[in-house]
Amino acid sequence: MKKSALIFGYNEYARQIASQIASEYERVHIFVLDDALRQKAQEDGFHVSSFDLSDEWHEIERDYRTDNTVAFCTLEDDAHNIFLTISLRATFSAMYIVALAKDTEGINKLKIAGANRILPIVQITANLISEILEKPVVTNVLHNILYEDSEIKIAQINVVPGDAIVGNNSHGIAFKDTYNIILLAIVDKMLNTNFVFTAKGFNHRIEVGDVLVVIGLQEDIDKFKMHIRDSV
Amino acid sequence: MKPFARFMVKSAYVLNGSHRYKKVKTFFYNLMENNSYRYKKYFDVVMVMLILSSVIILIREVKYESHDFLQFFNDYIISIVFLVEYLLRMWVYNDNSKIIIERYEHDEFLQREFSPLKAFKEILHVKFQYMSSPSAIIDLFAIMPFFHELRLLRLFILFRVFKLFRYTNSIRHLLSVLTHKKHELLTLLMFAAIVVFVSGVLIYVMEANHPNSQITTLFEAFYWSLVTISTVGFGDLVPKTEGGQVVAMFIIISGIAVLSFSTSIIVSAFTERMDDIVENKLIENISALRKFYLICGYTKTAQQVAAKLRRHGKNIVVLDNNVDRVKLATSHHIRAVVGDPGALASYAKLGIDFKKQVHAVLCLEYDDVSNVYAALTIRSMNKEVMLLSLLINQSNRKKLSLAGVNEVVYSQELVGMVAKEFSGMPVAFEAIHALRSEQSDVLTEEIVIDEYIGAQYRNVGDLCAERYRIILMGISPANGDAFLFNPKSHEPVGTGDILLVIGSNVLIKEFKRDLHVKKRRS
Repeated sequence: MKKSALIFGYNEYARQIASQIASEYERVHIFVLDDALRQKAQEDGFHVSSFDLSDEWHEIERDYRTDNTVAFCTLEDDAHNIFLTISLRATFSAMYIVALAKDTEGINKLKIAGANRILPIVQITANLISEILEKPVVTNVLHNILYEDSEIKIAQINVVPGDAIVGNNSHGIAFKDTYNIILLAIVDKMLNTNFVFTAKGFNHRIEVGDVLVVIGLQEDIDKFKMHIRDSV
Repeated sequence: MKPFARFMVKSAYVLNGSHRYKKVKTFFYNLMENNSYRYKKYFDVVMVMLILSSVIILIREVKYESHDFLQFFNDYIISIVFLVEYLLRMWVYNDNSKIIIERYEHDEFLQREFSPLKAFKEILHVKFQYMSSPSAIIDLFAIMPFFHELRLLRLFILFRVFKLFRYTNSIRHLLSVLTHKKHELLTLLMFAAIVVFVSGVLIYVMEANHPNSQITTLFEAFYWSLVTISTVGFGDLVPKTEGGQVVAMFIIISGIAVLSFSTSIIVSAFTERMDDIVENKLIENISALRKFYLICGYTKTAQQVAAKLRRHGKNIVVLDNNVDRVKLATSHHIRAVVGDPGALASYAKLGIDFKKQVHAVLCLEYDDVSNVYAALTIRSMNKEVMLLSLLINQSNRKKLSLAGVNEVVYSQELVGMVAKEFSGMPVAFEAIHALRSEQSDVLTEEIVIDEYIGAQYRNVGDLCAERYRIILMGISPANGDAFLFNPKSHEPVGTGDILLVIGSNVLIKEFKRDLHVKKRRS
């Protein structure tokens, strides 16, 4: 988990991001372009500083370990947002940069500017809308798993040395029957691939460094984790 | 009241109150007159085929001896079909029972005795109005070949060709364009007629007595002048005198003028009316759609939603006030109409049946006022249709709910939640994101247990999902109980339950097909 989050800009998107991620980071720091926004963010209870686009980011360099920091670029104006992204990337090569994009044109430019992750606003909204219309049950279940306080959780389990499952084939473990969890995907660190979805049918040999993505009740996930660690 | 009059009034009330009678009459009305009725096009095709076969038989008869069956088919079968059609059209043209009832109630009110004769006259008057319309006259003449003993009446078969006007929309549109410029075309026709008449008389005067002249009768003079003014100029008749040649020069110049004027009138009529024609055609198409999503406001979000839904094979109709956005939607091959989503008139123009045709209405403007207004307008017409709306400003959420919106989508909150999720568990988030975006081959799908599947399969084990490498994530029960995660093989499945599965696209399709086709594996 990254330690600090820096949010650039203060609009409704930034406010929502700041409120939602507060529990995930030790520090959330908001940077704004003008005093009116600074005051508004302070009133909402956030730690705020001012910046301008020609900044050399000394304050950030001084106060944060940038390899352990996430920057959210949420400026209203696309051009400013892209400029901010490129300027942060020019200074901090290790920083994880997340940028909001209003349209597809912006996505490509932000990629080139060096953003690690882009949140395309229109695309995210459109995907949700079409999913609500076409797959209401899927939407409801996945939405609850991801964002709401549902009994069913999604979890990622990093396979570490000594885990009981190291060296086993994924087909050989009865995730569903024994542990009452569903193994959704595996990220193979060695192969540096994106995902190996279980539903594709590959029989994957689990190695140290892999990440298992599982879905299940929280207690079942905990039991599974305990089992693979304790049974060694 | 006299017994006949009483019988007439009673029959009128019976017919007027009979649902069955109304249903039958509406069916025939829709079949023959309602362009948005799904089955009208089949009726039209059959009639066009009959007309064409009738003309083909006529052409064949010119050189070959007529075949008995073809003759019978042409003289009796086709004519009887046309006669029945003519009578049906006359029947559905108006409601006689209504005329009788109105007349009767009017007489009762004035305390006069009901006069069946007056009611008859009124009915005849209305029916005559129908019979004297050009299309009805054509229909009547088209039946004439029925009286095949009268050889002359066989020529009336050509009226059957005119009947084509009824069944082909493009010819109707052409006529409507020309009617629009009726005045200009009539003026031009009058001008042409005067030129033909004057030059016909002049050429006759100049040429008729000349020894070498080819134009010797008044008929030839008019024939020559018509052929010349139309710029056809066969060359079979040529003026020989100087006077005649001067007349020819005059008529040639007039001919060019008439031709260019008439072309420009028709072209301008088409340009002026083309948008209307295209829009009418589009509205007809929309009325004929079985199911579609109605999008109010073709914003960037709407564009992406529409593209995604179209990939799923869904029909989309866009209603937008902004002409440029409507053009953009049209360029994306989407049926789009210019209209205010907040005005009842827009929906009246489209002739949408919300209950039957609309899956859901999506209010996707980047403005809460417009979305609330559109939602309220739709709710005032239909209480049930699903309404989804974007929310731009959090403070307006309650207003959208009050306006009857079923699903509110608030982008800002959504982006916040996404940011949280990938901050906490980036890998898990990416996995779910990949599943939802449908960019990889693996996806999540809903499978509804219909009556057939419900009857064949009793429990989860019977489904054998694992054979298809499909992960059955859970069941959403039909009775509204909570989502059943990772159901065991003994768990029952019933009609109306929805299975949530994860698997590769191809295998999910195969699984669905087999559920519908195969019997339960014992």
